[in-house]
Amino acid sequence: MAGEGSKFDVVIIGAGHNGLAAAATLGKKGKRVLVLERSGAIGGLATSYEISDGLPISRHAHLAYNLNPTVIAELGLSGKLSMRPLATIMLSDDARHVEIDGETIRFADGSAHPDGEAYKEIRNRIKKFAGLLAPLALRSPPDPGGGLSLAGAGEAMPLAALALKLRLMGKKDMRDFLRIVLSNIYDLALDDLPDGPLAGNLAADAVWGAWAGPRSPGTVFSLMYRYGCGGAPLLPQGGMGAVAGAFAAAARQAGAEIRTGVSARRVLIANDAVTGIETDKGEKISAGAVMSSAGAVQSMMLAGAEHFDVEAVRRIRNVRSKGMTAKVNILLKRAPDIPGLSKEQMAGRLIAAPTAIYVERAFTQAKYGEMPAAPIIEAVIPTLADGGDRHAVSAIVHYIPRNLKGGWDDAARARLTGLTIDTLARYWPDLRDNVERVDAFSPADIENETAAPGGHWHHAELSIDQLLTVRPVNQLSRYAFAVRGFYLCGASAHPGGDVSGAAGRNSALQLLNDGVLA
Amino acid sequence: MMKAQTPRSVTRTLAPTPFHDRLAELNFLNSWRGWNGFLSAEVFECSEKEYFAIRNQATLMDISPMCKYRICGPDATRIVNRLIVRDIRKVKVGRVAYAMWCDEEGMTIDDGTIFRLGEDEYLLLCAKHMYLWLHECAWGFDAAITDETEALCALSLQGPTAFSVLKAAGLEGAASMKPFDTREIEPGLRISRTGYTGDLGYELFTAPENAHSLWDRLWSAGRQWGICPTGMEALNLARLETGFLAPGVDFQPVHLALRRGRGRTPFELGFGRLVDFDKGHFNGRRALLEHKARGPRYHLVRLDIEGKEPAANAYVYHNGSKVVGHVTSAAWSPTAKRNIAFAELEAPYGGAVRDGLFAEIFIYKEGAWLKRNKKAKVVDEPFYRNARARQTPPNAF
Ligand SMILES: Cc1cc2nc3c(=O)[nH]c(=O)nc-3n(C[C@H](O)[C@H](O)[C@H](O)COP(=O)(O)OP(=O)(O)OC[C@H]3O[C@@H](n4cnc5c(N)ncnc54)[C@H](O)[C@@H]3O)c2cc1C
Repeated sequence: MAGEGSKFDVVIIGAGHNGLAAAATLGKKGKRVLVLERSGAIGGLATSYEISDGLPISRHAHLAYNLNPTVIAELGLSGKLSMRPLATIMLSDDARHVEIDGETIRFADGSAHPDGEAYKEIRNRIKKFAGLLAPLALRSPPDPGGGLSLAGAGEAMPLAALALKLRLMGKKDMRDFLRIVLSNIYDLALDDLPDGPLAGNLAADAVWGAWAGPRSPGTVFSLMYRYGCGGAPLLPQGGMGAVAGAFAAAARQAGAEIRTGVSARRVLIANDAVTGIETDKGEKISAGAVMSSAGAVQSMMLAGAEHFDVEAVRRIRNVRSKGMTAKVNILLKRAPDIPGLSKEQMAGRLIAAPTAIYVERAFTQAKYGEMPAAPIIEAVIPTLADGGDRHAVSAIVHYIPRNLKGGWDDAARARLTGLTIDTLARYWPDLRDNVERVDAFSPADIENETAAPGGHWHHAELSIDQLLTVRPVNQLSRYAFAVRGFYLCGASAHPGGDVSGAAGRNSALQLLNDGVLA
Repeated sequence: MMKAQTPRSVTRTLAPTPFHDRLAELNFLNSWRGWNGFLSAEVFECSEKEYFAIRNQATLMDISPMCKYRICGPDATRIVNRLIVRDIRKVKVGRVAYAMWCDEEGMTIDDGTIFRLGEDEYLLLCAKHMYLWLHECAWGFDAAITDETEALCALSLQGPTAFSVLKAAGLEGAASMKPFDTREIEPGLRISRTGYTGDLGYELFTAPENAHSLWDRLWSAGRQWGICPTGMEALNLARLETGFLAPGVDFQPVHLALRRGRGRTPFELGFGRLVDFDKGHFNGRRALLEHKARGPRYHLVRLDIEGKEPAANAYVYHNGSKVVGHVTSAAWSPTAKRNIAFAELEAPYGGAVRDGLFAEIFIYKEGAWLKRNKKAKVVDEPFYRNARARQTPPNAF
């Protein structure tokens, strides 16, 4: 603003955990940062609310399995997060549930599972490859335009290092990696496993959030992405809002200011460089850089399409982000009782995906805009571990299309609720008359509440054509978003979504590295 | 049992333009070529005669196959400025501007002329189909884009007596028009003082149903002024003398290139002066800034070559040994009396290094190929320029 001088070096759009990670990273480097959040609370897709007095529950995201350890270390979050590891229970309608707890694979009654070894072999193979890919998540994607210059060679280092590591694994492993990385999880799993709960586990974990079925190419990669930090599911105490809260605390501690209930309306630009931002209240805030954790299209429109080359606009508007995931929280009347599971097991990560073909069938219906007959569900009952007597279920219900035929309204939301309870009741019959209240969030609701494009888990489909150097789109994969000083810092940027913090942190480092603020 | 089937053939023909009947009567050689899917005359009788008519009389050419797009609406100016490298805001209503446009890498897609018909209304004329590209450019903006290639037919009236023909045809109102002016001279008849010949000339646009009457009107008025139909061959010589580029000949339109690295920037085509970096963002601006800083990779230059043998397709050498480029268009210029060419040279040749260039010309003589190395001089000015082409009001001849 004229006369005022810049109070801030950087304005960040969105106080999701990525915006906050960016703010903390920049704050630690002495930059003056302002974070603007359109909703009344911080966290974006990572928030909690009270489903009943004193009973916090995750509104959308609920399990941390991809929190990046480097980000945690850099921002000093480790002491501030209270998270409990969970065993995974693959639900079976004959009550012969299967428990997956690290290296222990068995039936819930403790008896050995005949396919346990075969399952572990596949899973650990994918984990090994995931570990090789993991360093890529912490680097800006290589610059394809870097050519043969020395700088370009530097950019290609992570890829070169990956290639080297692949070679060092030996010929057999390298061939195996190249063979499976672009393939589908269905074929990979069923090559060595009969279709059942263990194949269902691999299939489901490869597709949460995705507009893809286990038979879709690229689903082995998405499972690798999930396993990038080991993949062990952790339940944050107080819900996912507590995790975002820790990021916010780190940002504030680093000097960042966070304003909620303020929306960015427009990115201000002069001479092809960002000069600040205008809020929905008409306030103009000047800054040397603006970072956006809104989706790619939304961010582009905040700056104005005229600042983007025609080809870039075409690519950005064709970014695929059709949400497929709903969230249903259920307040229970009394303690849950699931046949075949102990209380400890009920406190685990409960998955309704009894076979891989079940998962594929659900996708097949959803991709045509239909509510599937039987969705896949990941449910946790966080209250069981806390020892109180009030209980609630936090359920991610997947293959619920954002583009539902007939659209989303109260009736459709009621169908979502019914479908969720029907699906869980196959394994947990008592649930039907144990329901006190249900809060169902359709992908449309999630989009409305959080502005995530399409309500999509990753803001932009995490598929081969939207990864690395082409995430969110070709030519704009290194966070810098066309106009000098404008950066993407959310899930739609590399490496993608999940509660991870990598995108926000990487983007901040790239901004510092580009010398825009100098 | 299989039933015998007569194979159905797909008939693919070039479409006649609305002037076709008139042209066909005059096309003694029956010499046609395809142009954007239309039948276009190559030569009517003798291309030399047609060329000299351009320079000495008046000529009429059917340019209906040119692609024509109307851009109309509140954001029309922003869309045009997003498309082209120059600043359309500096072009007043009633004026026509030569323009180039680029892809995101700063490589030239095409060139053409833009008619500013109103504050928010433009007509774009160009060689290649641009409908989809215009829609891409217009995404997020408010304007209607219509393809008027078939809704408007057009004649180009060129030559020193062009104005006299107009006057005889009752269109003397064009007297006050300066080069690059355009107006609707009669209801349903648009005229512009533009052309591709470097001579005095006009282009006229009307609806197809008026095609015959327009042709007849100009044709009969032109009798006393030596009017002559012209085809593409004569035009090609005239445009080369004047220094107009032919897309697909002198440069590769980047959208039609499959190979990487075949695109050229406006700087490399010698049109850097058109690029206006101060007008705000336009397509390819950031890439062009980098290209400008780095300097051109190529120079498209005019060559004056010793001798009289046209240097078509010749390699250009530096100091006799090193190939530094090739000729893209070449001809003996009867008016300039020089052996002229466009050539694309690798930088720094044609830029900082302009001496020591030779064209390697192959001449077919009585059953044998002769090779001639001819000195080639880079020239900055067009080979042909004529003051009468710019005079307002124009002379009678
Ligand atoms: C139903 C569901 C369940 C999920 N479950 C899990 C899970 O269990 N585990 C996991 O790891 N991941 C999960 N995810 C994915 C994960 O939640 C997201 O990928 C991640 O939270 C994205 O973080 P972000 O900071 O990039 O974006 P977001 O969290 O979406 O934050 C973006 C913020 O920007 C704000 N904003 C947007 N536009 C503006 C504007 N113009 N002005 C101001 N502010 C603006 C929004 O309000 C929002 O707060 C789930 C996703 C969904 C949809």
